[in-house]
Amino acid sequence: MKLSTASSFMFSRIAFQHCCLLGVAVICLGSPSLLRATVDDSVSFAYEAALPYYKQGFSIRKDAWGGDLGVREKKAVSIQLFKGNTYWFLMATEVKGGSLSVHLYDDKGNLVEDESWQKGRFAGARVNPKSTGTYFAIVQILKSPEERTTWALVYGYK
Amino acid sequence: MFHDKPLHCEGNFPRFSMKNFPLLRFQAFVLAAALLAIIPLRADNPPKKIALSDFPAAAVDDVVVPVPSEIFAVLDKLGNPNWKGQLRDGKVQTPEDRARTALLLGNVIAEGFVAVEAEDAERVKDIGRQVLTLANAINVRKAVITRCKSITDKADARDWKGVRSEFDGALQDVRAAMDELNDHDLSQLVSLGGWLRGTEVLTSIVQNGFSKDGAELLHQPELVNYFDRCIGSMSSRLRKNPLVSHIRDVLRKIGPIVGESGDSITAENVKMIHDLTREVNEQVIGGGN
Repeated sequence: MKLSTASSFMFSRIAFQHCCLLGVAVICLGSPSLLRATVDDSVSFAYEAALPYYKQGFSIRKDAWGGDLGVREKKAVSIQLFKGNTYWFLMATEVKGGSLSVHLYDDKGNLVEDESWQKGRFAGARVNPKSTGTYFAIVQILKSPEERTTWALVYGYK
Repeated sequence: MFHDKPLHCEGNFPRFSMKNFPLLRFQAFVLAAALLAIIPLRADNPPKKIALSDFPAAAVDDVVVPVPSEIFAVLDKLGNPNWKGQLRDGKVQTPEDRARTALLLGNVIAEGFVAVEAEDAERVKDIGRQVLTLANAINVRKAVITRCKSITDKADARDWKGVRSEFDGALQDVRAAMDELNDHDLSQLVSLGGWLRGTEVLTSIVQNGFSKDGAELLHQPELVNYFDRCIGSMSSRLRKNPLVSHIRDVLRKIGPIVGESGDSITAENVKMIHDLTREVNEQVIGGGN
């Protein structure tokens, strides 16, 4: 699921107004708008994780990807990477107590990342692609107090 | 034993050996196997190799479409391209056909990335205004007004990294606004229009100083397939649009070339892709077909 900041803002505002009018948050539970709002929070955390890399000169893409996953559930995001660039992929969740991971594989399924880290609700992986082509970011929720955990992934390059 | 004599509980015990306890040995084996199975679940220890076939279509997200500057950044490292020579002249006219407008919008945003590489502030500002005009034609002007103002401000300040980020943001905001309006197909066409212009510029630069490293940047098989699939899933009205249909034909010609391994893309292949994308971009700008 691809996300954007503009649409998310509108969506959050609409969701908020509806909640106020109805006055019953229960109605919103499990609705797509609520999910969207929490994914947007995850996007904010993912950008927070990307900030140190931005300061190091990485251009952070405005496009973000996200959704929700169960614990141990994985998802693959396919990406076109170019030899000659360095990439950082940053992932986060807004769920307190949640932890997740992101790892990078080539189109043959080989782990290609040069470095990765995992710290609570944040995770990151860096790659200097050896060749230009299709790669896969495998995202996974490692643990979470929630049945479904929202996540977001952003990336930067230089 | 720290003393001379053994204590009453020490010594004379047969040496413990698993061989003497075949049942225990089996249990230990089962326990070790269970532990090995559990450990990877508890630690973030990524496998060195995975089977991508384990990810059904539903578990694979859409391809991430790179912005032109991701490729341009590599070209800058490979040499010193003449970015000013890549800039297009003149203003674009707003088409009446919404599909062509969406393609043109993506195309013009990609042109913005070229102008940033050329560090041409006036051209960047001019492109910012064109983005606003085209966005207005497809009812997403509101989504990019702030971006376009920022493009102008940052171009004046010669903050090229900032301008690049604003063009990226404009692309996402336009697409998001279209998605809000349920214009998903047009949103895809914006990306496609950007890719076509980016590829035209890439092939032009690689042609001018051919190198294997430069040509390898064209190895984008999944991306080309993705655009082909996007067109295939569009409404029949859009699929039958002559320009969209022509672009699909072009993608199918480019697909087998960029599907080859990166180091087997020849100078002739690069020229062929350049000619195809230049011709289709001319149609995006000027209409016809």
